[in-house]
Amino acid sequence: MIRVEDLQKHFGSLHVLKGIDLEVQKGEVLVIIGPSGSGKSTLLRCINLLIEPDGGRVLLEGVQVNRPEIKREWVREQVGMVFQSFNLFTHLTALQNVTLGPIRVLEEDPEKAAVRGRALLSRVGLGDKADAYPAQLSGGQQQRVAIARALAMNPKAMLFDEPTSALDPEYIREVLDVMALLARDGMTMIVVTHEMGFASNVARRILFIDAGKIIEEGAPEEIFHSPREERTRAFVSKILR
Amino acid sequence: MARNTDIQNRRRMRIFDTIAAIVVTVGAILYLLDTLAIRWGLNQQYIATRYPDYLKAAQVSLYVTTISYFVGMGIGFVLGWARSVHTLPLAKVIEVYRRTTAAAADGGRAGMFPIRAILVHGVKYYLKRIADAYVAIIRGTPLFVQIIFAWSVIITYSPRMDLTLQGLLAGILALTVNTGGYQSEIFRAGITTVHSGQVEAARAIGLSRWGAMRHVILPQAVRLVIPPLTNEYIGLLKASSLVVIVGAVTELTTFGRREAFINFHVFEAFALVTGIYLLITVPVSKVVEWVERRYRVPGLGIQQDRAARV
Repeated sequence: MIRVEDLQKHFGSLHVLKGIDLEVQKGEVLVIIGPSGSGKSTLLRCINLLIEPDGGRVLLEGVQVNRPEIKREWVREQVGMVFQSFNLFTHLTALQNVTLGPIRVLEEDPEKAAVRGRALLSRVGLGDKADAYPAQLSGGQQQRVAIARALAMNPKAMLFDEPTSALDPEYIREVLDVMALLARDGMTMIVVTHEMGFASNVARRILFIDAGKIIEEGAPEEIFHSPREERTRAFVSKILR
Repeated sequence: MARNTDIQNRRRMRIFDTIAAIVVTVGAILYLLDTLAIRWGLNQQYIATRYPDYLKAAQVSLYVTTISYFVGMGIGFVLGWARSVHTLPLAKVIEVYRRTTAAAADGGRAGMFPIRAILVHGVKYYLKRIADAYVAIIRGTPLFVQIIFAWSVIITYSPRMDLTLQGLLAGILALTVNTGGYQSEIFRAGITTVHSGQVEAARAIGLSRWGAMRHVILPQAVRLVIPPLTNEYIGLLKASSLVVIVGAVTELTTFGRREAFINFHVFEAFALVTGIYLLITVPVSKVVEWVERRYRVPGLGIQQDRAARV
């Protein structure tokens, strides 16, 4: 479904990604962990080409997408993204946030889009908040609207960039539940998170990244309880505590 | 129920406030005029009979200002956008492009001359430089000089045109170019204030650059820049009085000056002129205030109701 080969990214003289290879099957959930500044967010953004990689290949269903002739907008339609800071459109209601993409990008009929948008909001448990503005919603509710907004584009895969780390503890649960539901429905997901419970229950594989390289890859139990690499062990012991 | 009566009460209070404000303002103006009349022998007869001519002159000011303002808004938006864009020098663009295409192994385009990239980035880069220069020149020179300059350009290039038309065109041209520069700063501020995460989210759902601008950045930026844009309109209306230098255009100040110094109705003329400027600017501010309230969104810009701030 998604394959990344020898991905390279520099920011000026900073070498952020030093040859990342990964593959995610259809319907699989991959969790990425790693210290801050290790390149996790950059990696996610390189997959939907919000950031242009300097080298390597990004493939969606076998098609290399980081080529000049491929429309970036098309790639982003295929791969939805959820951000750490939600980034809901401040001037639009929850429903308008969800329907903006379908109406303006997919050119869906506004009424149909609204029906579908309400259904999506109900699916993330916010059927009654359609007309609320982001500032009137809690962090957890905003993030769930953001998930619905990404789903509205009918993406083939979803990227989550630390979706719960900006949330107050009492709201983390509701967001993770929605994500688990998505995973159960067969969505292909790449999730950057340090939520160990979620990673253990939902993910099939975990990737540990440090300093722009994949250090270790394995099933949740392996990574969390018997990591092979010293660096993984050090990091895991810090977040498990 | 309680909520309804609350809203009704507030509306009633607002209407009362508005009426009170109008009464006080009109009263103050009448009082002032009356004082002036007694002290300086203001000719009320003159004012009562000649004010329609002043209103006609005010129309000229109004449409010169309004045309310039809205055309200038187009210029201001484009320049402001250009100035807010992050650009790279071309050498850097080419280097990045080489790296990307070299890596795209099955793209088969490695080493190809990056015409598209050069075009896109070159246009962005030079647009930004041009916009910077434009603003520097417009902001750095007096509007008065700009009007004379525009006038002399028009006189030189179409000497046989009607005098009034020449003057009007010069006025509109200079004011347009001028307000364009100032509005570009306003738009730049508005656009850069919208959080970068908003743009990223817009691009992430597949909106194009223009789509993100139109549906996400602009609606937020415009709400933020309504107050400075209103300021600019009022400033421009007052600045339009500088068109007085082009004697052939009968805008409000020109007309007033003529009446004052040729027909010797000095105080009457300037009482009327100032009064009419106020008559335009105050309602404009009020209307904009209403628009601002009407389109206010929670979490964006000024939050509280005026009542809640007391």
